Amino acid sequence: MTVIHDNLEETNAKMRARDVSVYYGDKKAIDEVSIDISADYVTAFIGPSGCGKSTYLRCFNRMNDTIPVARVTGTIELEDEDIYGSGMDVVQLRARVGMVFQKPNPFPKSIYDNIAYGPKIHGLVEKKADTDEVVEKSLVRAGLWDEVKDRLDESGTALSGGQQQRLCIARAIAVDPEVILMDEPCSALDPIATAKIEELINDLSGRYAIVIVTHSMQQAARVSQRTAFFHLGKIVEYGRTSDIFTNPIEERTKDYITGRYG
Amino acid sequence: MSPITLILIAIGLGLAGWLAGRAKAWSFQKSDPSIRLVARPNYHAWYVAVWIVIPVLAFIVLWSIVAPQLVMQSVLASPAANVLPDFGFERQSILSEARAVASGNAQAVFNPDAQGLVKPFYGAISRYNIIGLVVTIIIGFGGGAFAFLRVKPDFRARTRVERTVMIVLLLASLVAILTTFGIFASLVFETVRFFGMISPLDFLFGTYWSPDPMSSAANPDSTRYGAIPLFWGTIFIGAIIAMIVAIPLGLMSAVYLTQYANPRLRAWVKPALEILAGVPTVVYGYFAALTVAPVIRDAAVAVGISNASTESALAAGVVMGVMIIPFVSSMADDSIAAVPSAMRDGSLAMGATQSETIKRVLFPAALPGIVAGVMLAVSRAIGETMIVVMAASTAANLSANPLDRMTTVTVQIVKMLTGEGSFDHPATLSAFALGFVLFMVTLVLNFIALRVVKRFREAYD
Ligand SMILES: Nc1ncnc2c1ncn2[C@@H]1O[C@H](COP(=O)(O)OP(=O)(O)OP(=O)(O)O)[C@@H](O)[C@H]1O
Ligand SMILES: [Mg+2]
Repeated sequence: MTVIHDNLEETNAKMRARDVSVYYGDKKAIDEVSIDISADYVTAFIGPSGCGKSTYLRCFNRMNDTIPVARVTGTIELEDEDIYGSGMDVVQLRARVGMVFQKPNPFPKSIYDNIAYGPKIHGLVEKKADTDEVVEKSLVRAGLWDEVKDRLDESGTALSGGQQQRLCIARAIAVDPEVILMDEPCSALDPIATAKIEELINDLSGRYAIVIVTHSMQQAARVSQRTAFFHLGKIVEYGRTSDIFTNPIEERTKDYITGRYG
Repeated sequence: MSPITLILIAIGLGLAGWLAGRAKAWSFQKSDPSIRLVARPNYHAWYVAVWIVIPVLAFIVLWSIVAPQLVMQSVLASPAANVLPDFGFERQSILSEARAVASGNAQAVFNPDAQGLVKPFYGAISRYNIIGLVVTIIIGFGGGAFAFLRVKPDFRARTRVERTVMIVLLLASLVAILTTFGIFASLVFETVRFFGMISPLDFLFGTYWSPDPMSSAANPDSTRYGAIPLFWGTIFIGAIIAMIVAIPLGLMSAVYLTQYANPRLRAWVKPALEILAGVPTVVYGYFAALTVAPVIRDAAVAVGISNASTESALAAGVVMGVMIIPFVSSMADDSIAAVPSAMRDGSLAMGATQSETIKRVLFPAALPGIVAGVMLAVSRAIGETMIVVMAASTAANLSANPLDRMTTVTVQIVKMLTGEGSFDHPATLSAFALGFVLFMVTLVLNFIALRVVKRFREAYD
């Protein structure tokens, strides 16, 4: 059972997951896990490798659908709408719940086209002027505009790793999502690029509901307000980030954050 | 003594050297366990063997060229050679008859003059056989002894052996390259002869192709050597009609196989498709001539084209296109599969549908590989002969109507070389000029394709 700290005020829940289990073939990777994703806070998922953080994160935009052997049970609601229900179009869902991956994966297109990709396929822009505006706005929000504004025609893959990751964040922002899921967005980056991304996450928080998977306790402490500790396919403990790191209740959480295993 | 025997001797000596080298290397270790060999005993063994086999083989090659001439010289120097006519065919035939009998390849001579030469030949052959054998053994022992003496605990046998292996590998790879050069050189040589008779301008820009191998070779009618209809036929059949068939079908099957097919189906369909590439082109030729061409003719007649013939560029092109499908689809398949899955996930996570992802992300990313595949397919198609011979006629025709008879460069090469013309007639030589043009075009296509593929590989490393 998940230990939920009792000092949490009612939050404005953007997404509600209830009793979600994920199977890869016959193997259960996530075991009846429930959580609320707050619209106002950054939520961090931490836990040892292989405990199912990425798997769980991918449930929120149904990216597990792309894995043939994966099967998801339980319910996840986005603003009271079941995202696994028949009324939900996965294309719409992914426009509302964006994702940033562990390894920066810009398309082998120009910087401009990388950003314009989402708005175009969702029909958010018609005229060139609209597209220009969205591209600029997204790059500004992602803190990349000043670095790339003179070379928007260059390939996105020609940027540095940190810039590529911010490009991917800008790309996710461009379709104006409500939630952004980030799976270890800094694990391929150096400390300076990491600091930039963390700063960016702080800027974006409040405007978007953000969930971040991270292996760095410091990073979770710096960017998130809520933390869920995962172990063996379950959330062991959930609470304010400061409480999880200073007053963990569960023994396993204590062990993990003091670096005794994982 | 045939070279085979000498080679067997070389191998025998090599084996002996191998064993001796290894035994010696072992003996160091046995006699004093504190000695550490720099190279393992097997390398010492190979070192000795290499020093025996390579010089001996080199000698055998040399000897098999030189020995017959030495034999001939000594026979000619003998008194029996005085009866020979001075020059000409008869002298040659007498000599070779006598040699054949002396070396046991023939029973008896026809020409009585040859009888007297059998004995000198026999003597010379056995003398030089013994010399060859002795030298072989001396070289073998010499090389072996030299190498054997160098086998010491601190001798770096491994690096030597590895260098030898590397040189052998290098020579092996040179064979293919040198062959290409040889082909090229002979083509160039004959092409130059052809252009000495027919102006290159008439050849490259003339629009009438009908060389007459029976006409006088001294002043050929160069207006009959215009190759444009052939170039056009080649491009029309191989690069246009065939590609109109092969590119869409190949790409669609690649997309289906990489993106939609479940793995079990893919495991069946992909090899099946690749089998298509292994069907001999003659078989495609039957299919084109016996099945496709009549269908096309009937269809043309049915829509009111009464003069449609059974031989048509369309029939050849369509079947060639089918033949090419595996090339296009397997290159496209590989390059689509080589696009990192992160690309696909990134697009799907943006809310793109699978077909949008294929169209707008996977395809552009895989495009260089696809283009390269198409280029290789084109160069394969324009080199194809059998299907055209069987389904599209051998008469040159400059026409844009796919139902017309048409012919291609390769078909004309075959026709000219197998025609009745003598070997220095321009009609025959035109085959080389055509071959040269074809060679250059496919070379350029392949070169570009390989460059593109290379650039593409680097992009994702
Ligand atoms: N595509 C897949 N097919 C089968 N099993 C999978 C697949 N992806 C993940 N798993 C399994 O599910 C479990 C959870 O994996 P997941 O990637 O969610 O862990 P994680 O917490 O994100 O680990 P990490 O911190 O190393 O990224 C692991 O045991 C893993 O082996
Ligand atoms: Mg993970």
